[in-house]
Amino acid sequence: MDSAAIRKELVKLLGKDKVLTEPLDLMYYSYDSSFLTQMHPADPYAVVFPKSTAEVQQVMRFAYENNINVIPRGAGTGETGGCIATEGGIVMELSNWDEIVEIDAKNMQVIVRPGVIHAKLNEELEKVNLFFPPDPGSSQMCTVGGMVANNASGLRAVKYGTTEQYILGLEVVTPTGDIIYTGGMKARCIKNVSGLNLTKLMIGSEGVLGIVTQIRLRVWPKPKARGIAMAVFDQLDDAPATVLEIYQGGLLPSGIEILDSSAIKAVNEFKPEINLPDCEAILLFEVDGNPPSVEYEGEQIKEIAGRRARLVEWSTDTKRMAQLWEGRSVTASAASRVRADGTRVFAGEDISVPLAKVADTLRAIRQLAAKHGIQVVNYGHIGDGNVHTAPVINPEIPDEVERVMQLVDEIHLLAIEMNGSTTGEHGVGAVRRKYAELEHGLAVNYMKKVKEVFDPKGIMNPGKLF
Amino acid sequence: MEFKELPPVKEQIMKCVRCGKCRSVCPTFAEIGNETAAPRGHVFMVGMLRNGVVEPSQEVYDRLGNCLMCEACSVACPSGIDIHELNAAARSYIYEKNPSLGKELIFDTMWTRPGMLKTSVRFMWLAQKTGLQKLGRSLGITKLLPGDLPKAEKILNSVPYFPARSELDEVNPARGEKRYTVGYFLGCATNLFYPEVAKATVDVLTRNGCEVIIPNDTKCCGLPQIANGKTETARELAVHNVKIFNAYDFDYIVTDCASCSSALSHKNMEYLLGGLKIEDQAFAFSEKVMDLTKFLIDVLDVHPPVNAKAKKMKVTYHDPCHLANAQGIKEQPRELLRRIPGVELVEMKEANRCCGGSGTYSLTHYDISMKILDRKIDHAMLTGASKLATCCPSCTMQLRYGVERSKWQADVVHPVVLLSQSYRQAKAVQAQEKVK
Repeated sequence: MDSAAIRKELVKLLGKDKVLTEPLDLMYYSYDSSFLTQMHPADPYAVVFPKSTAEVQQVMRFAYENNINVIPRGAGTGETGGCIATEGGIVMELSNWDEIVEIDAKNMQVIVRPGVIHAKLNEELEKVNLFFPPDPGSSQMCTVGGMVANNASGLRAVKYGTTEQYILGLEVVTPTGDIIYTGGMKARCIKNVSGLNLTKLMIGSEGVLGIVTQIRLRVWPKPKARGIAMAVFDQLDDAPATVLEIYQGGLLPSGIEILDSSAIKAVNEFKPEINLPDCEAILLFEVDGNPPSVEYEGEQIKEIAGRRARLVEWSTDTKRMAQLWEGRSVTASAASRVRADGTRVFAGEDISVPLAKVADTLRAIRQLAAKHGIQVVNYGHIGDGNVHTAPVINPEIPDEVERVMQLVDEIHLLAIEMNGSTTGEHGVGAVRRKYAELEHGLAVNYMKKVKEVFDPKGIMNPGKLF
Repeated sequence: MEFKELPPVKEQIMKCVRCGKCRSVCPTFAEIGNETAAPRGHVFMVGMLRNGVVEPSQEVYDRLGNCLMCEACSVACPSGIDIHELNAAARSYIYEKNPSLGKELIFDTMWTRPGMLKTSVRFMWLAQKTGLQKLGRSLGITKLLPGDLPKAEKILNSVPYFPARSELDEVNPARGEKRYTVGYFLGCATNLFYPEVAKATVDVLTRNGCEVIIPNDTKCCGLPQIANGKTETARELAVHNVKIFNAYDFDYIVTDCASCSSALSHKNMEYLLGGLKIEDQAFAFSEKVMDLTKFLIDVLDVHPPVNAKAKKMKVTYHDPCHLANAQGIKEQPRELLRRIPGVELVEMKEANRCCGGSGTYSLTHYDISMKILDRKIDHAMLTGASKLATCCPSCTMQLRYGVERSKWQADVVHPVVLLSQSYRQAKAVQAQEKVK
């Protein structure tokens, strides 16, 4: 079936209001945040906007019968080309399906459709003193469905872990058009070891096994107090060393973030009022809990971090905390500000390494960047060894593009060499699939076999993960 | 300058990392829900246009035109992209390749000639007063209007017969000791639709020691032209206004219209006239330009007389995009309202979110504009206010229509009107007490 016929059939199935068919409109779905799609955008055959499980099922059955690829998409904020039709196909846009079906506060859980925005979910949960702890930097724009697909985490993974720890059950439309429920068809329980854990299998599967149409999430009581300590270092190495000393001191902050000198410059350029001090590195520690414990932990952090830091600022002021947290949250995009004629690119930006090797890794990244003559901004979730590197280049200069591709390849290989992973939270997508065998060896074959069980025709988001 | 060489086009497109932060603040995207209306989508499409991947066609214009130019995205953008400027530059480029007779008539011929604009508004007045407008609606004649105008013509509230300019002198002496000579940039919409705002502005300024001069030859600020792809016309208007106002020795140039002060700002002058011979004159002009509320609080520090008998009123405030987003002026209008005896200021949710009017947007994209408006009015009504204050005639027009649609018993007013009333009421109370 050619793409024009596919578009015609989709309009028949869903109606013209739920399908984009104009070539000009389809171009808008050729990109996400990845450098890959900035350089090589890929238009889909059509974009569909289903708003019910039945509609998703209709599209999947049509695609299965006609061997057409289907690529699920949330807000398109991913950094790996994961939601792009790199091998052609229908993009299924789910960010409009943003219904909070039920806040079941008595059972400490919430049921949502995939398009709910993370920050909006937490706004609603706050009204009943609950929260969904994972805190991606893209909270204002990313969808919960996208978080499930990528097992997203973010700034609070240190204490609260990643998305997978909060998913109790899923409704999934499989590539053959079946509707399955993981975690128990009618279950509202929290603990459940019945059956093979298909919920965990789906989380982080990046849309290669099926379409998640409903999510049952565990939520937690919202902590009553919060504080942020900012530690200022004149030596980069002192920052990771301090993180280890904080843990050894018996403390578990909810977040530990690092900004290097370039990242500090970027944040100050974006929001001068945040006024971060000029130094080699900053650590931000967030602690939360009951007021006396927050104060106690704040004191402890001041004491321990103060051994190496030039300055430690402790704040429980809502405005100041919001400034510091926002500054860190937007570093990913604000990194472009360090070079007038350049931009940060999302490539090699998400490695994860053992805590004891963070300092060595940061040093090695700087050396690699210097070798290739590429400016980099380093920031990230140092508390769990997840380092974000932002190469800043002018993508209109071919030589810089070539050099940055060499750099990011070496950064990915460095992560594996350091006993780490090429990605801590952003995912594999189309960008990092080439490292799959190096990272996982024979296990990749078993991953492929699992996919075949769900997706015998290989139509579900092909060209991703492995 | 060639489209590709324009600073925003040349320097800023590459900075977009498609993070999507702009999606989370865009009012049109919230209603349309697909990437073609997302600000990052507009940046992407301008890039495609620059690279020659797409032609400068009407189809591309239509997609880029689905934007309020409210600047919320530009403020939120972590990469520092002036998304609205990119969009405006692209619209202008496409327009040059696809000229439209209708647009030339409206934006080049009519809107640049104050006399012709006045005559057109006088026709509207006549149609409203004689019942022609209603008759036209009932006979279905208004349906013959182009685009969304058959639906949108209702937005035009009651049009006054006399424009402000015919009721105000060119030179208005300061009352009491003179402090400043102020040039009043009387915008088209305030002049033709809301003369009471202009009169209140002159009243309040003269009461506070300002000699107010309203140059006769003032022309449109150029913002409607920029939004509609007529940048060259906007440039000509800017040159004209700069010359007119620079001929005086003003201490300040004040306007009560958020869109005008934004259009006359340094940033916009740089966009229109940067690099041209007139650049220095333009910057000297824009340095003096100030929004009225900012001038009243930051420069004049006005304090209306205490009046224990002042009527109590609950007022909520809507931030015009061209004041809050384009100029960062949020506090001064609120402070002004707080200083008016009897006023209790109550904040609405999302006060700093576009009302959907955005100059001509409500006329060209009526249905989406109404969805944005309804959300705004819902939030405003929840405050329990009896007055909805704002500092922009385009917002006023849209909000009045929203109030009417929602059958809400509230007035839409400019803060300066309430301020002027408070002076007059205080004086009346003093006079009564003297009599007693």
